[in-house]
Amino acid sequence: MSRDTLSRPEPAVRKRARKDTGSRPRRASRTEARNARAAAGFVLPFLALFGLCFIAPIGYALYQSLQKTERAGPLGLGGREQETFAGLANYAHALADDRFLTGFGRVLLFGAVQIPLMIVLATALALLLESASARGVAFFRSAFFLPYGVPGVIASILWGFLYVPGISPLVKTADFVGWDVDFLSRGTVLWSIANIVTWQFTGYNMLVLIAQLKAVPGELYEAARIDGAGAWQVARHIKLPLIRPALVLTTVFSIIGTLQLFAEPMVLRPLASSIDSGFTPNLHAYSEAFVGNNQHVAAAEAVLLAVVACVLSFGFLRLAGGRAKGHR
Amino acid sequence: MTSNTVHRRTVLGGAAALAAGFALAGCGDSGDGDGNAPRERKKGQKIQLTFWSWVPGIDKPVDLWNRKNPEVQVKVEKVSAVNGQQYAKMHAAIKAGNPPDLGQIEFPVVPGFLLDNGLLDLAPLGAARHRNKFFGWQWQQSVFGKGVYAIPQASGPMGLFLRQDLFDKWEVRTPRTWDEYETAAKAVRKKGAWIETFAPTNGNRFSGLAWQAGAKWYGTHGDTWIVHIDDEPTRRVADYWESLVRQKLVKTIPDRQNAWYKDLQTGAIPSWVGASWGDALLVGNAPDTKGKWRAAPLPQWKAGEQAFANWGGSTTAVFAGASYPKDALDFAVWLNTDPEPIALLIDGGYGFPSAKKGYATTDLDVDKDFFGGQAYSKVFADAGAHVDTSWRWGPGVDTLYQRLGDAFTDALADGSSFRSVLTKVQRQTLADLKDKGLKAESGG
Repeated sequence: MSRDTLSRPEPAVRKRARKDTGSRPRRASRTEARNARAAAGFVLPFLALFGLCFIAPIGYALYQSLQKTERAGPLGLGGREQETFAGLANYAHALADDRFLTGFGRVLLFGAVQIPLMIVLATALALLLESASARGVAFFRSAFFLPYGVPGVIASILWGFLYVPGISPLVKTADFVGWDVDFLSRGTVLWSIANIVTWQFTGYNMLVLIAQLKAVPGELYEAARIDGAGAWQVARHIKLPLIRPALVLTTVFSIIGTLQLFAEPMVLRPLASSIDSGFTPNLHAYSEAFVGNNQHVAAAEAVLLAVVACVLSFGFLRLAGGRAKGHR
Repeated sequence: MTSNTVHRRTVLGGAAALAAGFALAGCGDSGDGDGNAPRERKKGQKIQLTFWSWVPGIDKPVDLWNRKNPEVQVKVEKVSAVNGQQYAKMHAAIKAGNPPDLGQIEFPVVPGFLLDNGLLDLAPLGAARHRNKFFGWQWQQSVFGKGVYAIPQASGPMGLFLRQDLFDKWEVRTPRTWDEYETAAKAVRKKGAWIETFAPTNGNRFSGLAWQAGAKWYGTHGDTWIVHIDDEPTRRVADYWESLVRQKLVKTIPDRQNAWYKDLQTGAIPSWVGASWGDALLVGNAPDTKGKWRAAPLPQWKAGEQAFANWGGSTTAVFAGASYPKDALDFAVWLNTDPEPIALLIDGGYGFPSAKKGYATTDLDVDKDFFGGQAYSKVFADAGAHVDTSWRWGPGVDTLYQRLGDAFTDALADGSSFRSVLTKVQRQTLADLKDKGLKAESGG
């Protein structure tokens, strides 16, 4: 988000750059070397951290996903353990696991419903808050954003209390009016989780969209108004097309976030008999690693998850980009 | 759900920590080598042992030990026992090569730790001479071949907790057999309550019920593991509970969670097939029902039989690579056999002692008032004396429980039979063991 809003004042940066090149003829090589050194000084700490915290674990996960443990000794106990090359056996194992694949299907269904819903909701809120006649903008903006400040685990515990029968005032109220509702049954629990996620992230997405809306030059609105456009037409023909990049960005983030779905089902699992150990691919990998102690399979699953996230988000970017070009 | 930064960061952080851990493990392996003669403490040398435990009130006996043994100080580090987190942590520490000296480990997971080469064989240190201080079958839970891999601490003989006041009011007799239990369930249901919940994810209790029925899920033959989950006794248990579920005589909510506690408080669930350590749970979570509960023996399959089982129970194990194994063993034996620490552990509510001596059954009636003055521990002592002692655990019981939970969850959702759960889990468990590089066969 911030990257996008920051890239707005680009012309100014370019101007400065041009000025720099203007001084070039004099001491070009020395300045360049100094600049390069300074740049390296700034970039190196980032690269080191990036390598250590990002590249290394990914590389290690890849390596682990290609290994397996071999055991010897009586009953396999207390004997020697050996790591050997497994080829793609762990991947085959993961892909042959119904529960893992079902988990993928589940998060895709989840994303197909929850992401559009949330983005539409966030856009509507952003447009409403940024409309000329809106009052108490600052208050509502903070209020809608507030849930994002609640960590996912806490949010899930909080909603968990609202879902569990016997404790939940929601269930009690529903019971009172004769509506037999079970938020945690096999059919509903996915949507109960969708509700938590929507509650948490709508305000955040709204803020991203607002940031982009703020960057729309006022003259455009003036011109539209002079041309006789109403509020709806301004929103439809000016605001929406101009916040398109922010919409694409929030959607991509949401796609990635959906595939990473973990904390909510993990926290609700003990409360709901309907969430199994492979409810989402992430939960499945966790279970493999920390319950089954099969780190190698878990690593393979993590890699597969990353690949799918990559394909889906780049696929979506491609799609959105292609459409944009078509429009022009 | 945009930019799930929290998740991503945690996952990455975890991955980095794991990576670092594995790297360390590599170093540790090469350093130790094979000829790791256990280090011995010199006379007068002061050492410190770390002990990972979650047992309530463990600090008190450890403080006592520290006062009595200034040279061997034990430091307790509390670990979370929620959803098996303590074992995830211990396995990770073993992989990372920096486990604590001692750890609290339940009976069923001992073989899983052996698979990781995580536990020290205490036999060479002379552990076997303590054998007679413990109940034989419990001692046997952590003996594999000639190795002794943990010192038993406590067990959980199973019984039936019930709200005597409600049973009396509703004119329901305390069931002595599973047939009577079903009759009672019907009577209770007529009063608008449910006799129990069948928590699909509680593999622990299900295995206890299978144990009572005479199942033997794991065995060994030479160097091959024999798996026998889909056997006749287990099928009988599965059929029985499936019938209760399908007749809607029991709930299917998870146990030991808020909704369940609420049902216990309100009498919506007036009984619980539990274990000896369940007294503390009831007292802690349904304090207003004080004086109304009683404990009764587990219902039997045949009237007059005396078949019981065990749910839970743990050991004090010494991890491989412990800095001073001999002292760690001494502490573990003292903790679980000396009358003083046993008394302190009983006060904390740790379950049923594994030691034969050093306490009286009456010591265990910590919450006598809660059970209307009943000497309820007698019920569990009798059950403990009649537990089928040939039951053994195999590697990967955590996975087995998860498999059972997942399959029962499916069965409840799609209406498939509980027997099909057993067939599926039997197949999966065999595959799991083979995946771990073990020899495994289907039993019988």
